[in-house]
Amino acid sequence: MFFNVNDVQQFQQQKDFIDTALVPLLSLDFKEAKIKQSSSAAEFLMSLTAFIEQQFKGRLMLVPPFSYTEQTRNGVSVELLKKEMEDAGFKHVFFITCDHYWTSFQEQLDVIWLPSIPLESMDTGVKQSILQNQLNQVIPTFTSKWFQV
Amino acid sequence: MSNNRVSRRQFLNYTLTGVGGFMAAGMLLPMVRFAIDPVLQTKAEGDFVQTSQKVADLTEEPVRVDFSYEQVDAWYKSEVTDTAWVYKQGDQVIALSPVCKHLGCTVNWAGDSAHPDQFFCACHGGRYEKTGKNIPGTPPTGPLDEYEVAEQDGLVMLGKKIANTLV
Repeated sequence: MFFNVNDVQQFQQQKDFIDTALVPLLSLDFKEAKIKQSSSAAEFLMSLTAFIEQQFKGRLMLVPPFSYTEQTRNGVSVELLKKEMEDAGFKHVFFITCDHYWTSFQEQLDVIWLPSIPLESMDTGVKQSILQNQLNQVIPTFTSKWFQV
Repeated sequence: MSNNRVSRRQFLNYTLTGVGGFMAAGMLLPMVRFAIDPVLQTKAEGDFVQTSQKVADLTEEPVRVDFSYEQVDAWYKSEVTDTAWVYKQGDQVIALSPVCKHLGCTVNWAGDSAHPDQFFCACHGGRYEKTGKNIPGTPPTGPLDEYEVAEQDGLVMLGKKIANTLV
């Protein structure tokens, strides 16, 4: 499910089944030396999360990414975010990011950290198989959490 | 020779009719061509999309076949990649859509080790038989959709999504 009117309506009717939220945490860097790398990471994270959404459409809602820069990162309070989403009916809240900073939260939160892969120079076939590979790596994270309960 | 002389009046008549005829033809022909154009148009082969899967390589075991086509959304053009599970049943090639009938997740062949000969949906444990028939007692309420299949140059071509014809 995406965060759009149609899907949200379906979520409201099917809260028993759609019980997981996926929140991308997206780091933006506008410094001359980093801006290209930052955009590449953003592209990767957006493609991958869209692919995860396709795979788990009926159980997972992909929320628009929370974007921040190094200066504003402290303004993103992930614990509060998680709390608010749980109050809205999501049983599981996953954060997915390419920013290493969030790995320090792995104790309290479900943070999936992935190194970003530059997809821009690849052609469609290779891109597809790389994303498939990455997807296969994150699937167990979801399923183990789902079957725990 | 001398009694066949063309008078000035005749000469002008001939040239004017000739030039006028060309002009009329130049105006009418494109109109006629436009009018009959729908008949002359060669039909593109339905909406079939070619995949890279060879028909000869198919077995009775479903394999994942990715195919992409261009989708135009108002002014936004995008390359959409879709997937089908393709296998052979006798001589017939069958292509099933991987979209779960419950809430739209993607199903996988043999995704559950307890049921290696079924399609499995990881979201809520929905299961389907090889024909796409949903297994009672699991969340899905209908069978998997099917793709129209054609063959060209030994490659599988996939068409429109249709309701399952096998169950």
